[in-house]
Amino acid sequence: MENKRKQPPRKKGFNYMKKRNVEHGFSVISLMIMIPVFFLTAIFLLVVPRSEKSNIEKRNLAKFPSFSFQDYFSGTYTAKITEYYDDTVPDRDNFKNMGYGFKSVFGIHTEEEVRIVGKPVAVVNDTDKDKANGKTEGSDKTENKTDKKTDNKTENKTDNKNNETSKSEETGNKVNTEKDEYKEASNGLIVVKHDGHYRGLELFGGGSGDSYVAALNSFHSDLGDSVKIYSMTPSTASEYYLPDAYSQYNVSQKETVESIASRLDSAISFVDVIPVLEGHSNEEIYLRTDHHWTPLGAYYAAQTFAKAAGVEFKDISTYKKVDIENFSGTLAAWAEDANLTADTETFSYYIPSNYEKCTTYYFDTACNDTGSGNFFCQVGSPEYNAYLTFMGGDEQVVKVKTDVKNGRKLMIVKDSYGNALPGYLFGSFEEIYVVDMRYFDNNLVQYIKDEGVTDLLFAMVSFSAVGGNADNLDVIRTQ
Amino acid sequence: MVFSSLFFVYFFLAITLAAYFFCKTIRSKNIVLVIASLVFYAWGEPIWVGLLVLSAFINWKAALLIQKYKKVKAATFIAGLAIVIDLAFLIIFKYSGFIVENINGLFHSSIPVPQITMPIGISFFTFQAISYILDVLWETVPAQKKYGRFLLYLSLFPQLIAGPIVRYSVIEKEISNRKSTPVDISEGAMRAIIGLSKKVIVANNLYVIVEQFFGSDITNLSFLGTWYGVIIYSLYVYFDFSGYSDIAIGLGRMFGFHFNENFNYPFICKTISEFWQRWHISLSSFFRDYLFYAPIFGRPRKYFNLFLVWFCTGMWHGASWNFIFWGLYFGIFIFIETLIGKKKLKKWNKIWTHVYSKLIIVIGFGIFYFTDLSQLGRFFLNISGISMISNGNAFGDLITWNSLVNNLFLIIFAILVSMPILPKIKYFFYEWGNNTVYAFGKVAGTVICCALLIICSILMVDNTNNPFLYFRF
Repeated sequence: MENKRKQPPRKKGFNYMKKRNVEHGFSVISLMIMIPVFFLTAIFLLVVPRSEKSNIEKRNLAKFPSFSFQDYFSGTYTAKITEYYDDTVPDRDNFKNMGYGFKSVFGIHTEEEVRIVGKPVAVVNDTDKDKANGKTEGSDKTENKTDKKTDNKTENKTDNKNNETSKSEETGNKVNTEKDEYKEASNGLIVVKHDGHYRGLELFGGGSGDSYVAALNSFHSDLGDSVKIYSMTPSTASEYYLPDAYSQYNVSQKETVESIASRLDSAISFVDVIPVLEGHSNEEIYLRTDHHWTPLGAYYAAQTFAKAAGVEFKDISTYKKVDIENFSGTLAAWAEDANLTADTETFSYYIPSNYEKCTTYYFDTACNDTGSGNFFCQVGSPEYNAYLTFMGGDEQVVKVKTDVKNGRKLMIVKDSYGNALPGYLFGSFEEIYVVDMRYFDNNLVQYIKDEGVTDLLFAMVSFSAVGGNADNLDVIRTQ
Repeated sequence: MVFSSLFFVYFFLAITLAAYFFCKTIRSKNIVLVIASLVFYAWGEPIWVGLLVLSAFINWKAALLIQKYKKVKAATFIAGLAIVIDLAFLIIFKYSGFIVENINGLFHSSIPVPQITMPIGISFFTFQAISYILDVLWETVPAQKKYGRFLLYLSLFPQLIAGPIVRYSVIEKEISNRKSTPVDISEGAMRAIIGLSKKVIVANNLYVIVEQFFGSDITNLSFLGTWYGVIIYSLYVYFDFSGYSDIAIGLGRMFGFHFNENFNYPFICKTISEFWQRWHISLSSFFRDYLFYAPIFGRPRKYFNLFLVWFCTGMWHGASWNFIFWGLYFGIFIFIETLIGKKKLKKWNKIWTHVYSKLIIVIGFGIFYFTDLSQLGRFFLNISGISMISNGNAFGDLITWNSLVNNLFLIIFAILVSMPILPKIKYFFYEWGNNTVYAFGKVAGTVICCALLIICSILMVDNTNNPFLYFRF
C-alpha cells in the first residue's frame, strides 16, 4: 500500500501491452462490482425510512435539527445533520447487533472496558479474604468506632428537614464518612462498561460478620420474643455486575451473608434479598455511579421483607414516580473516573399513595424532638445528592406515623442502604422508626421498649455487616 | 466532516463522485471539486472557511508577484511577507492561548488568555501554502495563474484537514490536465476502503483500550499495564493517521490526483532517523526541505537546524509542552545517531537496533499522549518501574492480562498489518504473476474490499463520534 520497495525483475517475455489491457479490463470489472455496492447502500440509507428509537440503547434517536443562523455559524446545525444521518440509520438496532457479532467473531472485545481504582488484592481462600479485608477482630476496631461515634456526636447537627441549606453543607462530610467506613470491607473499585454505560463497582473483601451476628443475637436476648427481629443484608452491585474475569478480586457477598444468617438465633428471621435482587438484575436495581441500590432495588427488598413480616404491601404501580436527571453519585467521585463522571444517570424514586396521610417526625440522635417535616425532600444539588432524598440523610432518628391501623410498629436499624426502604412500608405498618446505627446516642433496647416496637429490622449492606459499622450495634445496645 | 462517518461516505462522497464523473471537462470537474471541498470544510468550520479562501487568495497573489519580480529582491520580500502572514494565522489561531499562558506563568502577569477555536486543518493548509510560496521563490514550480485552480490545490478535500501535506509540484500538472482511468478509480477506491478499515476496524477499537488504560488517572497503573497501554497507543496512532492518509491518497487517485505516500511502514525501522523517513513523510520532508537545508539566520548550521527542526516538528503537533518535548526527544536521538554515523549504525546487530528504535518510539508516543505534564511524570514513573517502589504499584495486573487475551487477535492483526505484508501480496498478484494470477488477485481484492466496506459501514452505525487524531493538529 505504501512506497513500493525494490522488487525482483519481471519474468522474461513479459507482455506489458497485454498486461495493461488486462489491468484495464479487470479494473472495469472491479468497478462493476464496487459501484453497485456503494451506490445501492447510499440509496438504501437515503430512501428507506429512518429509525426513530433504539430499543438496545433505550433512547430516542437524533432528530433533524431546525435551522437557525446562530446554530449554523456555530457549526451546531451541520453537526446535528451529520448526527441525525448517522444516528437514524434504517434498522439501526439490527446493524448494531451485527456490529457486535462481527467484533465477537473476530476476537475484538474492547466493549467490555474495565478500569481498577486502587490496588485490589486477589482473594482466594478464607485466610486471604481476611487479609484482603484488612479486618482485625477485637477491641481496636470497637475503640476506633466508638471514637468516631464520639466525634460525630460533637458535630451532630440534626436540623429540621425543611432547612435544606444546612443539610447540603453536611453532604460532603457524609460522603467521606461513608467512604472511610466502606473502605474496611472494600477491596478497591472497578469501573466497567456494559451496554454502552459505565458502572462503578466496589470489590468486596469479605469478612466474618462476627460482630453483627453477636449484636443481633444479643438484641434478641435483650428483647425476647415480644419483638420480632429480621436481618436483611443486601449486597452491593458487584455481586451481580462484576465480569467473571475479575472475580478473584471479589469475595462472594451471597456466601458471606448466608454464613452470617446461619449463625443468627433461629428466632431471628433472615430476609434473603440477594437471590431476589439477582432475579431482577436486568432491571436498574443498582445505581451505576453511586454505591447504593436504586429505589427500585430497595422496592424488591422491601417486598421480600413485607412477605416475611406478613404485612400488606402495595404494588409499585400505585406509587408516584419522580425522576432526578443527570445524577452522578459517590462512586464517580471516589473513582475520579472521567468516563463514569460523564455518564450520568436518572435517579427515580417512588412516593406512596398515602404519603399525604402520613406524618414524619424528626428527632436528634439523642431522641429530642426537632419537629415534623417531609420524608422525601430535595437536599442541595439533587444531581449529586439524590440519595439524600430519603429523610435528607442519616444523622437523625425518624418516626413516621401512617394511616395504617394494624398495631404493628416497625423499627429499621440501618446504614444508608436502609434509607430507601421505609417509603415502601407506609402502607404496611402503623408506625415506622428509622435509626442509623452510626448516629444514635441513647440505649436502643430501652428506646425499642419505650416506643412499643413490634418488628425490628436490621437493614445493613453486606459491607457494613462485616465492617466497622457492625461494631456500633453493640455500642447502641449497651450504652 | 469525518471520513469515517456514514454521512461522509454515503451522502457527501456519493454525491460528489456522481457529480464529478457526470462532468466531462476538466474545468467543470475542478468546479465540482472546489465546491465540494468548500462545502466539506464549511460543514465543520462555517466561519473559518473564509480564512481558507483568504489564505488561498493571499498566497496565490503573492506567488504571482514573486514570479513577476523573480530577478529582484522584491520577490524575497514578498515571499517573506506571505510566509509571515501564513505563520501569523497559524500563531493567532493555534498558539496564541499557549503563548499567553506561558507569559502569564513566567512573569506572573494576568494577560487575558485568548479563547480562539482553532480552524480544523490550519496546520496542514498553511504548510501547503508555505511550500508553494518557497517553491515559486526557488523557481521549482511556476506560479498558478488561475485563482480557482490554486484554491483547488489548497482546499482539495481528501487532504485538506489531516494531510498529507501535498506539494504543489506533485499535482501541478494534474490540476489542469488529468484523467481518472478505470485502474485509478478502482485502485483508489480499494486504497480508500483499506484506509477506512484501518480506522474503523483497527484504530477505533485500539483506542477503546488506550482510553481504558490512560483515560483517567494513571497513578496506580501497573508497570506492565503502562507498557501495554503505550504500545497499543503507538499502534493506534499509526492506524488512525496512516488510515486517514490511505483514504486521502485513495480518494485523490479516484479524482485523478497522485499524491505522494505519507507512511512507509515506520515500525520496521532500525533507527530513529529511519523512522522519520517512514512516518508522516510529508511533514518530515517539509521540514527537511524548507527548514533544515534552508540557511536560517545566515549559513546553514547542521546541529542548530536539527534541533530547530525537531522543536518545530513538536510545536507543529500542538500548542502544548509535551509536543515540544516529544519533538526534542526525537531530535536528541537523531543527533546521537548523527554523531555515531550511518555506517557504524548499519553494523550494529539488527535485533538490538530494532529493540532500541521500538523502545524509543513507543516511549515517545507516551510523551505524545500525555498533554497533562503531571500525568506525563506519572507515566515515566510507571514505565520505568520507579512507581513500583515509590508508590507500591503492581508489576502486572489482571486487567492488562484480560485485555491482552480478549483482544489478542486484534493486536496480532494490527502488528502484522503494520509490517509490509500487504505490498508483498499485492506484488505477487499484480506484478509477479501472469494475467490469470492478476485477474484472480484483482477480483479477490475487489470482493474483499466490498466486504470490508460493508463491515466498516456496520461498525460506523455504532461510531457516532470518532474523529481522526490528526484533526486537532
